[in-house]
Amino acid sequence: MTRSASGFGRRLGLAAALSLPLAFPAMAARPETVRVTVAEYSNATGPYFEKMAKQFTQANPGIDVKIEVVNWNSLLQKLQTDISGGTNSDLSIIGTRWLLDFVKDGVAEPLDSYMTPQVRDRFVPIFLKPGTIDGKIYGLPIAASARAMFYNKAMLAKAGFPDGPATWDEVVAAAKKIKADGGYGFGIQGKDVETDVYWYYALWSYGGDLIGSDGKAAFDGPAGPKTLDLYKSMIDQGLTEPGVTNYSRTDLQNLFKQGRLGMVITGPFLIGQMAKEAPNLQYGIIPVPKGTTQSTYAVTDSIVMFKNSKVKRAAWKFLDYIFSKEPRVEFNKNEGFLPTTIAVAQDPSFADDPRLKVFVGLMPNAHFAPVISGWEDVAKDVIDALQSVYLGNAQAAPALQQAAAKADQALGR
Amino acid sequence: VSRRLAAAARTGKQPGRAVVLFPHGGAMLPRLSRAGMPLLLILPSLVLAIAIIIYPFFVILRLSFANVSPFGQLRGFVGWANYANVLTDPIFYGSLLRTLIWTVAVVGGTVLISVPVALVLQQDFYGRSVARTIVMLPWALSLAMAAILWQWSFNADYGMINGMLQSLGLISAPVQWMARAETAFPVEIGIGILVSIPFTSTIFQGGFSSIPTDIYEAARIDGASAMQQFRFLTLPLLQPFISIAVVLNIIHVFNSFPIIWVMTQGGPDNGTHILVTYAYELAFRLGRPGPAAAVSVVMLAIVFVFTGIYLRLRREDV
Repeated sequence: MTRSASGFGRRLGLAAALSLPLAFPAMAARPETVRVTVAEYSNATGPYFEKMAKQFTQANPGIDVKIEVVNWNSLLQKLQTDISGGTNSDLSIIGTRWLLDFVKDGVAEPLDSYMTPQVRDRFVPIFLKPGTIDGKIYGLPIAASARAMFYNKAMLAKAGFPDGPATWDEVVAAAKKIKADGGYGFGIQGKDVETDVYWYYALWSYGGDLIGSDGKAAFDGPAGPKTLDLYKSMIDQGLTEPGVTNYSRTDLQNLFKQGRLGMVITGPFLIGQMAKEAPNLQYGIIPVPKGTTQSTYAVTDSIVMFKNSKVKRAAWKFLDYIFSKEPRVEFNKNEGFLPTTIAVAQDPSFADDPRLKVFVGLMPNAHFAPVISGWEDVAKDVIDALQSVYLGNAQAAPALQQAAAKADQALGR
Repeated sequence: VSRRLAAAARTGKQPGRAVVLFPHGGAMLPRLSRAGMPLLLILPSLVLAIAIIIYPFFVILRLSFANVSPFGQLRGFVGWANYANVLTDPIFYGSLLRTLIWTVAVVGGTVLISVPVALVLQQDFYGRSVARTIVMLPWALSLAMAAILWQWSFNADYGMINGMLQSLGLISAPVQWMARAETAFPVEIGIGILVSIPFTSTIFQGGFSSIPTDIYEAARIDGASAMQQFRFLTLPLLQPFISIAVVLNIIHVFNSFPIIWVMTQGGPDNGTHILVTYAYELAFRLGRPGPAAAVSVVMLAIVFVFTGIYLRLRREDV
């Protein structure tokens, strides 16, 4: 409303009626307001973006930046509602896996016309790729991460694997020892966002894939039931935390911080949380266990500009600013993500961090989320199948076949 | 007044006459604008009804026959495809059944508990106003906030419910309340009952105070026991209040969204979905406004049918 001409006029009229002298400076300056929706990665996300907004406005007095912090679980819902109602912000962080849906509906603005070659060269190419659709850049990688296994050194040493397990067989063997010592062996995520991904780790490590080259669901191939049975047998033997369908990624990480969980697969963001919340717990980081092959999941989040924005120039200026070196270094330090710009990757505080190096070393074997329309449908179908198997309501093979059939419908839409 | 009358005249069938006859006196007024005045008087509520009921209803109806993108763009009409889509989804039938269980259990439980609660609060005892306040307090809390509080309370690792049960020695290991629908759904029903009690017991307290006290005196003289007094005096006289409480609660509980969505989001394994959370998930998590609109229309039809049955029963009562 404040951006539309009539809204502005009405406000001005009101202001004039209330206090005439105040109305004129407002008209003279006419500051542009850029609204930015950001996902809450941690407690530090909101304050960080507020700080960036303030610094940016100091350097660009004509532009105000308003930050809205939204929880990940409700971000897509909020954006869909806002976009349907035409009340969306100018910029927003989104999961790159949603990007195709945004582009198909003509909601996202291609950024190529704003991007000078110098700006483009700032980015690590592999992270710029997921935000590129049909040769056009729609999303800039605001965050990137890969996944690796975190293990509790004391628990695993006692179980006979001081360097952590290298294969799934070793995970099972170690978990049995940990269980005998009264701990939870291997954490399995059973609810909320990325419950599906937590199973893809194993699926990929046995050579399975999510979507086949024909664009159809492929997770019900031979590796599917095999790996799901592996998870289910660990649950049945009590080698995981009890009640897996009650544990989100955050819940698993909390168990790990409390020293109750031996092994968990998650992203580099846990490093920073450990330093703050469990500084005395000794842990190691190793690749995702091997099945027949070594693999991991890599994911980027993108920041996009909406097509209906009325302040695109100003919004781009803000993007340009937050992707310059200092703001990026601070963001990565706060959140513990992998550097997405070359300047940050070369910064000693990241280049020399041995823990981050584990994650960077995994990148050559990383699977990115496939660029498909209807990712959320596929995720939901897979999560339904996983939960029904984890709960003992269904067998792995038929549950996955059913999910694949449903996913194919969504993929064909 | 003259402006209003002129407006009435404009909407009326005989504008010329109304204006001409006006000076002859107020007594003529009702008859002149017989056509216009009532319409004018109901116009505000009519406009309001159109704006907040009829217009959204047609939007939903239209969406339910359309292929709509996740961001609300109409991509064309698909006939009954959205309905077919929903009516072939097993999750829909699970949700339908659970909606029934949810509504009956929450409304039934609420009424069953609220009658004794209201009875107790009706008695004169020391600290009654404190007790009344305590019973009323949950009402002041928004449903979503109450649900979040309960979610924490039922957390398996550090929730107060498991802590309390363990320190009482009732359970040896923490119960994973939210891990299975078999425990999660009853917990949600319990919370649904708890948050509905304040409103319902308030209605009943109002009902009790409308019952004259002398009939109890007469009953006591005739030797009626307390139980008999309750059965033959209180309950029948409370009947209209129970009916109204049941109807209002059904309407409210049938569509009640926050408790289930906050605590389990319909999961795990779709085991706690009711129709409204199912529709919400379709629209806002899976980005399918079309089928979600179809679910809404089906829900509306269900409410319509039940309202019809209720009205018929009421008529037979009278």
